[in-house]
Amino acid sequence: MATVREKGYSHWDGRLSERRFPWWPITRTGIQLAFRKKRFKFIFAGAFIPSFVCLAGLYISERLEDFKTFLRGSDRLLNINPKYFATFFTNEALLFLIVLVLAIGAGGLIADDLKHSSLQLYFSRPLRKTDYLLGKMSVIAFFVLILTAVPGLILIVFKLIFAGSFKFLLQYPWLPLSVLGYAALLTVFLAFYVMLLSALSKNSRYVVILIFGAYIFSNVLYGILQSIFRTPYMALFSIPANLQQAGAFLFGQTPPHNVPAIWSFAVLAAFCVLSAVVLGRKIRSVEVIK
Amino acid sequence: MTAVIAASNLSKWYGNVLGLNDVSLEIEAGITGLLGPNGAGKSTFMKLITGQMKPAIGTVTVRGIKTWNNPGVFREIGFCPEQDVFYDELTGWQFLTGLLRFYGYAKSEIRDRADRALDIVDLSKDKDRLIRGYSRGMRQRIKFAQAIAHDPGILILDEPLSGLDPLGKRKLIRLVKEFKSQGRTVLVSSHVLPEIEALTSRIVLIHQGKILAQGDIPFIRELIEAHPHQISVRSSEPRTLAARFVGDPSIQKMTFGPDGRTLIVETHKRDDFFGRLTGVVLEAGIEVEEITSPDDNLQAVFEYLVGK
Repeated sequence: MATVREKGYSHWDGRLSERRFPWWPITRTGIQLAFRKKRFKFIFAGAFIPSFVCLAGLYISERLEDFKTFLRGSDRLLNINPKYFATFFTNEALLFLIVLVLAIGAGGLIADDLKHSSLQLYFSRPLRKTDYLLGKMSVIAFFVLILTAVPGLILIVFKLIFAGSFKFLLQYPWLPLSVLGYAALLTVFLAFYVMLLSALSKNSRYVVILIFGAYIFSNVLYGILQSIFRTPYMALFSIPANLQQAGAFLFGQTPPHNVPAIWSFAVLAAFCVLSAVVLGRKIRSVEVIK
Repeated sequence: MTAVIAASNLSKWYGNVLGLNDVSLEIEAGITGLLGPNGAGKSTFMKLITGQMKPAIGTVTVRGIKTWNNPGVFREIGFCPEQDVFYDELTGWQFLTGLLRFYGYAKSEIRDRADRALDIVDLSKDKDRLIRGYSRGMRQRIKFAQAIAHDPGILILDEPLSGLDPLGKRKLIRLVKEFKSQGRTVLVSSHVLPEIEALTSRIVLIHQGKILAQGDIPFIRELIEAHPHQISVRSSEPRTLAARFVGDPSIQKMTFGPDGRTLIVETHKRDDFFGRLTGVVLEAGIEVEEITSPDDNLQAVFEYLVGK
């Protein structure tokens, strides 16, 4: 016989704020977890060294007379123009440091969720797959932007302060947009790059190796193919080379490799599309029957 | 009573492996046990209810709303997965508050809810410890806490008692029963029969992706006509009693228990037998000590249905 049950609980009567950014809790947790790693804090701090070097260059460029003996004729390197910024942003040391920060801080973003089977906890909540991916991407965006866009814009401000005039900005009014554009490009590409590799393994240590391995291997492959085929188009196989090509274009500079920059944009875009497809397939609840 | 959870022609394949095969059922308020051996399709069914997987065929609805690709419905559902799903480097408190943020509560509300849930599962004292240091029982309880923290009307518990010590099991069973008494719906899966029996008599038997039976245990038992009911009668004179029933056409078989005082009768017409038993006992003046139905339990029903 059916029993009559009295509803003995009542739902919360407070107002639920509609989350405009349902992915934010994921981002917040991702950033918090990254900063819990001691070595990450150390590496993250170290990743600002190129920015400080660049800042020192800006300062010295305005005080060339004071540093004459120190510079010994290399003051032509301190000609502050978009090329100076392009060199800062596309130099291999900065790119490597950013990849290092992401490998240590964000390598486990998806791998740890796979390892801990946490996806089922996320997806049994008011959260879509796109929210999940956006949340994870935002962690990477946070680190990349803080290492590129933020110092880039601050450097422009310091240039104006050191020069004591707005002449530089009036001369290159598009430079802040170049900084933001390049930072956005790096963010999107590296977000897909790191997330793709993070989704390929449950072990975040393997993911760290994968992130470095793929980055370095692409450059090695470029070197090998270049020596065999002797064509600059082989640079399209190299991750850093493609980023440098795109960066040079965005800063209005001649690309370092004799290949139209549009090809590098196409390669980076194709990689992002491919990553999105793979991520779409990998990010799903744990299969029960193997 | 209206169905809280309804599945209609639900099927799910994993490549060539059939996880769930044309399942149609309705689950009402109260506790329902989802019972089946490992690999039967229990977790698949739960993942389909909680919208984590897309059905290959069919639909699942919760309170009439489809769950697939409809995250809003999960405000009403609390899910406690079978596996450990923790970031070990978080404390219990951080784990709970982090998950509560997805529901859009204000900060103070998140704190209150986390406190309340931790209090319910007796983890308030350990809330600031890293989950890494939690015992198996504590991990199960924090998993349960995350499922109830947002005050859902429907609880889906996948093997919630596995790995718990007897005391932990008793605590969790009490909590689940409290939820039921509040008029909520609880779907709990297990492959351990006594665990389900301790929680509810209303079960869904699942095997090889198919629903074998659904309903109260005695009701399902009634439906199994291939297997006669066993009735055990312990008395001072079991042989006299047996002699009275020898010619009864409703009785299939009679045996005596090892203690020499128990008559075990197998019959398809249990009610008829009980009707005659009363008369016989009174006529012959036999003193009956105990009447039981040894196969009127979940273990027997399960074994009959899965053919073990």
